[in-house]
Amino acid sequence: MSVLELRDVHRIHGSGEATVLALRGVSMIVRPGELVAVMGPSGSGKSTLLNLAGGLDGPTQGEVAVEGTVLGGLNRKALAVLRRHSIGYVFQDLNLLPSLTAAENIALPLELDGVGVRRARRAALTSLAEVDLEGYAQRFPDEMSGGQQQRVAIARALVGQRRLILADEPTGALDSQTGEAVLRLLRAKVDAGAAGVLVTHEARHAAWADRVVFLRDGVVVDTSGPLAEPEHLLDGASS
Amino acid sequence: MSIKYGLLALLQRGTMYGYQLRTSFEESTGGTWPLNIGQVYTTLSRLERDDLVRSLPEHDGGQRPYEITDAGRAELATWFATPIGRGDRPRDELAIKLALALTTPGVDVPGIIQAQRTATMRMLQEYTRMKQRTAGPADLSWRLVLESMIFQAEAEVRWLDHCEASLARHAPLPTPPPATAPETVHDKEKTA
Ligand SMILES: Nc1ncnc2c1ncn2[C@@H]1O[C@H](COP(=O)(O)OP(=O)(O)OP(=O)(O)O)[C@@H](O)[C@H]1O
Ligand SMILES: [Mg+2]
Repeated sequence: MSVLELRDVHRIHGSGEATVLALRGVSMIVRPGELVAVMGPSGSGKSTLLNLAGGLDGPTQGEVAVEGTVLGGLNRKALAVLRRHSIGYVFQDLNLLPSLTAAENIALPLELDGVGVRRARRAALTSLAEVDLEGYAQRFPDEMSGGQQQRVAIARALVGQRRLILADEPTGALDSQTGEAVLRLLRAKVDAGAAGVLVTHEARHAAWADRVVFLRDGVVVDTSGPLAEPEHLLDGASS
Repeated sequence: MSIKYGLLALLQRGTMYGYQLRTSFEESTGGTWPLNIGQVYTTLSRLERDDLVRSLPEHDGGQRPYEITDAGRAELATWFATPIGRGDRPRDELAIKLALALTTPGVDVPGIIQAQRTATMRMLQEYTRMKQRTAGPADLSWRLVLESMIFQAEAEVRWLDHCEASLARHAPLPTPPPATAPETVHDKEKTA
């Protein structure tokens, strides 16, 4: 079964003169163990697509289903539960709560989901260690660098048993080694059975995905999957 | 880039015969640059002619080992010490292709860009997969070679993105006459 399915999704922002067709008929299926990267110029609809996939926004036409449940059919409360429980989201602007420490930021969704305080805290610490931030548990967001905050946001998305990981430019503020470490983590989470959608401007990062979808003006213009036989590549390198 | 310096660098480690050189060369580039034994011997005989290596008496097995000379060591040291110029790496066929496409009537330039980007992206995905399979310090040489290819492919994708954006902003005239054409700028995009 697919973890995420978009069926002919459209999203129109605004009305009248100011109408923006942010997405115009996008369909996509992401299965367990699959990481899909979304690339495209600024304004092509990448964040809009991710917001729809994460139930933060609804389509003006078409359907979004997460683990078989059509999001449009859920009430606010059920949607919130599904989001917390099944979806890990890294926002383009991070969205850390400034009044909570790094560990509290990560543990919060678990606690809201009914996980005990101590277990949630332990999971948060493990998750922090995975992004190389042990020792930062008690720091508040404004006491950390941009790259460190970004890693906290990633730890928060990857904590627990989320089945769908959505990441909007998660490597934006990171240097090349740290960025790669984040992709390894995301890849490992997906290889362990989750499904992932990664929005990125960087081809080197998109290359960690199984498929790369190119968006342009709200439409998917192309999709690239990996070659079956890597040997072809080696021939080219000798010339 | 040439096989010459590869062989000199390997011989700097110690004497080797042709077959060993070929195997070690391929190992140190992770198999990205397959050599045939003919290329190895042609290069060796040129190196010998230029006094950069010398051949030693044959082994019992009939294999002839080669040894680097002082001149060879100096040549290699110079190579390592000299940055490689762009001109030594001809990989601008794509740029030329796009430049020609722009001025050739009836060619779908955005189509070329998109097709190339998808192809390059696919390569990049494959390199990345290979890189995921590398582990440990033993793979370091190979990983560096792979990463070089990864960064080059990435640069190509960025350049293609850039071309696409430029194209959208400054849509070229359909069939440009040889004389100076007036500058027409179609500002399609609201944001930069
Ligand atoms: N709430 C909104 N109201 C009106 N227009 C919006 C809204 N959100 C997004 N848009 C418009 O929809 C289009 C797609 O925006 P989106 O944020 O999805 O782009 P993006 O591909 O994520 O770009 P970037 O790479 O800059 O983050 C843009 O033209 C944007 O201006
Ligand atoms: Mg965005």
